[in-house]
Amino acid sequence: MGPWIKGNLPEGRLKDNEVILGSNAHIFFGKSESYIGDKEVFYGKEFTVVGILDSTGIGIDDGGFVTLASVYNMTKTSESNETKRLLDVKPGEISALMVNVKPEYARVDVATAIETQVSGVAVVTSKELMSSSVARQLEGLRPYLVMIGGGFWVISVLMIGALFSMVVNERRRELGLLQAMGATRAYIFRLVMLEAVQLTAIGGICGMAVGAAVIFVLKGTIEVSLGIAYLWPGAGFIAVFSLSLLVMAISTGILAALYPAIVASRLEPYQAIRTGE
Amino acid sequence: MIELKNITKAYMSGGVKINAVDNVSLKVADGEFIAVVGHSGSGKTTMVSLMGGLTKPTTGNVMVGGTDIWTLDNKQLALLRSEKIGFCFQFSSLIPTLTCLDNVRLPASFAGGQRGGVEHALSLLETVGVPDKANAYPSELSGGQQRRVAIARALINEPGIILADEPTGDLDEYTEADIMELFEQVNARGVTIVMVTHSRNLAARAVRTLVMENGTLSESSKTSS
Repeated sequence: MGPWIKGNLPEGRLKDNEVILGSNAHIFFGKSESYIGDKEVFYGKEFTVVGILDSTGIGIDDGGFVTLASVYNMTKTSESNETKRLLDVKPGEISALMVNVKPEYARVDVATAIETQVSGVAVVTSKELMSSSVARQLEGLRPYLVMIGGGFWVISVLMIGALFSMVVNERRRELGLLQAMGATRAYIFRLVMLEAVQLTAIGGICGMAVGAAVIFVLKGTIEVSLGIAYLWPGAGFIAVFSLSLLVMAISTGILAALYPAIVASRLEPYQAIRTGE
Repeated sequence: MIELKNITKAYMSGGVKINAVDNVSLKVADGEFIAVVGHSGSGKTTMVSLMGGLTKPTTGNVMVGGTDIWTLDNKQLALLRSEKIGFCFQFSSLIPTLTCLDNVRLPASFAGGQRGGVEHALSLLETVGVPDKANAYPSELSGGQQRRVAIARALINEPGIILADEPTGDLDEYTEADIMELFEQVNARGVTIVMVTHSRNLAARAVRTLVMENGTLSESSKTSS
């Protein structure tokens, strides 16, 4: 539940009178929103809401989590309080059990082991639970997505290179004048490269901001159309990922501006000043 | 002292070799004020650029202060240009994104920055008559004011030589006279000036006048200063 939980759960285990609600559970209580601390009645038993999950895109959005003891207790309260529906769960009876597989074990191996060693159970793995068709589609699309991304990267390198070639050409006179004033070739080279770094860094930051905004706006659409939950990664991952993208953007700028910068540094001052007039 | 020894600068134009400067030899003594006159395309600008190490001669040697400048590496040549030579170009040569003060200080940054102090730059702007334009950008200045700032910039590193290519090219006659007076003041402080001009009147104010014609150089006359 960790990634989906809103806020912090109280310390320790869930108590018998506490419930963690799915994101849509409030609808069943006729409310527009549920809040931590709300009191809700299930099958005649009152629970305190101690946690609310974010949207997961699967069935648990419509339900809640309580202790097993509370479930058995509810079977009694549902009879004694004459609720609309009886909760018919016999002691020792469970409908589903979620197994958290440690990273070092293969999910399929654990599923196979359970199916062979425990009779009368059906095992579904998390990929199937989420949406196997989506996972398969994404897997199939991956090579094409990589190719499209690579294509865009090559185009951007060429475009930035062409842009800086134009900038150098446009500023020939200025670059010639700088050399006449005493600028070395290395200075001219650094000047062009620094501008490339500045430009691509700003471009990278703007691109990331626009990308994040688009994903934020389309989050709901992604969940509905793909039938899977959309989760924001943790702050640490976002920071490292953003930094990596920024480094990639700057590296692209450096690579693209390399040739124009070399050309600029090799301009003869006299020719640069005269042809730039 | 500047010395050109049998300098030739050749270009290829439409498959034809053209000597913009053709076997020119010249000595310019320290503190001289020389005017170079000639028709457009006669090779005046090319010759001044050769003197300043802005272009490499096809043959011959350019000596500045006894050093053959084309034996220097790029870094040494850049340092020589910044420390020993000040350039004034035709039309505006100021960097448009810098203020006048920063434009004036720019060459000092290439020479190690010792002479690039704000006080020094402001005093030069005052010397050339635009003390109130320190924080203005070139686009806010008239042509004459821009030329004055360019002269201040050429003087920031206290060079021994000023190479001026048509420094009054597009200015009215009053501003032209002011700029010429400024050059005469600079020359009076012992700075060598080589000035390219179309105008025989302006050339007459120099100590020596040289005439360029089809890449060759001849002495025109000597006038008393």
